[in-house]
Amino acid sequence: MGKTENLFLFFKKWSRGKGIEEIMNSQSRPLLDIKNLVKDFGGLRALSNVSLNIQKGEIRGLIGPNGSGKTTMINLITGIYNISGGAIYFSQDRIDGLQPNVIAGRGVIRTFQIPRVFKDMTVLENMMVPALCQQQSMAEAKARAEELLEFSLLTRMKDEPAKNLSGGQNMLLQIVRGFMKKDLRLYLMDEPFSGVHESIKGIIIKNIKAMNQEKMITFLIVSHEMTTVRNLCHRISVLHKGELISQGTMEEVANDPLVIDAYLGGE
Amino acid sequence: MLKYRFNSVGLLLLLLIAIVLPFYLADYWIHSLTVALYYVIMAVTWNLLGGYTGQFSLSHHTFAVIGSYTSALLIIRIGTPLWMGIVSSCIFNAFISLLLGILCLRMRGIYLALTTWAFAEIVKSYIRMDFQFTGGDRGLNTPLFFKTIDPLPYYYLFLAFAVITILIIAIIMRSRIGYYIRAIRNDELAAQAMGVNTVRWKVFSFMVASVLASMAGTLYGHFIGLVSPVLGEFSEMAFIIIFVVIGGMRSQAGPVVGTISVRFLAEVLRKWPEVRMVIFASVVILIMRFFNGGLIEFLRKVYQRIRHGKDGESVSVFQKME
Repeated sequence: MGKTENLFLFFKKWSRGKGIEEIMNSQSRPLLDIKNLVKDFGGLRALSNVSLNIQKGEIRGLIGPNGSGKTTMINLITGIYNISGGAIYFSQDRIDGLQPNVIAGRGVIRTFQIPRVFKDMTVLENMMVPALCQQQSMAEAKARAEELLEFSLLTRMKDEPAKNLSGGQNMLLQIVRGFMKKDLRLYLMDEPFSGVHESIKGIIIKNIKAMNQEKMITFLIVSHEMTTVRNLCHRISVLHKGELISQGTMEEVANDPLVIDAYLGGE
Repeated sequence: MLKYRFNSVGLLLLLLIAIVLPFYLADYWIHSLTVALYYVIMAVTWNLLGGYTGQFSLSHHTFAVIGSYTSALLIIRIGTPLWMGIVSSCIFNAFISLLLGILCLRMRGIYLALTTWAFAEIVKSYIRMDFQFTGGDRGLNTPLFFKTIDPLPYYYLFLAFAVITILIIAIIMRSRIGYYIRAIRNDELAAQAMGVNTVRWKVFSFMVASVLASMAGTLYGHFIGLVSPVLGEFSEMAFIIIFVVIGGMRSQAGPVVGTISVRFLAEVLRKWPEVRMVIFASVVILIMRFFNGGLIEFLRKVYQRIRHGKDGESVSVFQKME
């Protein structure tokens, strides 16, 4: 209880609102359009009629108490789970029902809450995998990998097996590996800052900002780090008990009575 | 890089020795080496499946059996020419391995092992039961590949096929497919999320390994002149795994070194069959305890010690940073 209270006070304190007007007011069709999404696990309804859309070039934060359905949402968008109802459109094409690798092939990449790197492969080899899936040549993929590793201060470890990296370095590698996808359009990150040292967090943020500004990559970031979410995200969506209870800038969301109720434990 | 160079130099040396060796050996040893080369092909191909891709199949030896019987039955029952028997056997095995590969797609570890074992038992039992068609336990006499029992031409045939098989697998592992396969073994879900078509590459790996094994089995039948369910015994599969593990799983030279060493040891210990298994088992235990990278890891460490005068133990990033 105390933890969620602190969490709420934290983002209330920092709620000053940040946005890019052109994205927020955009009338163009959204890059990701989720309509009435439902997910049932047996008798448990994990997501209930969630509708959410994200514009191209936006960095969207997805927050909510534990068990609110954030990771389920990412698993549904990336095709790891099958949906129970509703529809998911990516760039106007329906993607629910497609295999995860097909969805990745369309430029939707994700990270996992617990870093899933290829442990017996070196850092450089880890980086090569998504690039090679796109028929990039070995030389081209290697050059890009080295460039990204340099930017992320991982060059020194490039020939080390990933199992030799620390937890934070594994998270960084997992995130940077996604950027190897040449036509990356939507990057879904599940708790990218959890258990990560401040210095590595800084590198991750630097990467996200650079990719968003230079390549207009769209992000959906699930995080409990309110300061980071506030600094990084243009808009925030709040999930609670499988329902989308609020959307808007951090200021709007923080002042929403439903959100306050959810975070302060109104059962 | 050192690892690759070490492997390549080792393999090249082995190949040179292999080419000149028969001139100094009696027929018995040439025959034994030819049999060893058959097992080299089986071990190297199983390493692709069980080692690199992480599909712990227990039906690999069965593909050799299906291969040898397909060719033998076509030649004996229908009268097809020998080459056609071999080619048809390959095509038939590609089809069977595709079906089994698809069936086993979502299975891992013990489930995959048990399913493939069950498949192997079905095939073996069928061959034993349908005496009229397959010859049962007595087997079938098949025509010899070179119309002679002199082992020398067979030795070179198997040597050539073993080299081709090793090259095919080396090329696969150095290509983008090698990256996919290793990623799948490490973390299938993450590989899929990165865009790897896990279904396609798992089936591919299963088919390549199985077709090459069936080809080896087919040639083996035409070398011995007899096909029998003996090759389908579970102990055959156990030996293939022992060869790979003793040599070094997930290395290209490992299965070759492992097979040759164990087969050589088996020949030396032929006079004492009762102690043979005890010695093999002890070697397996020692290797697992001290060098779970197998003989190739042991040789690599010795090589590094000679070159650099120190233990080749890999140093973690954190130790390096200090």
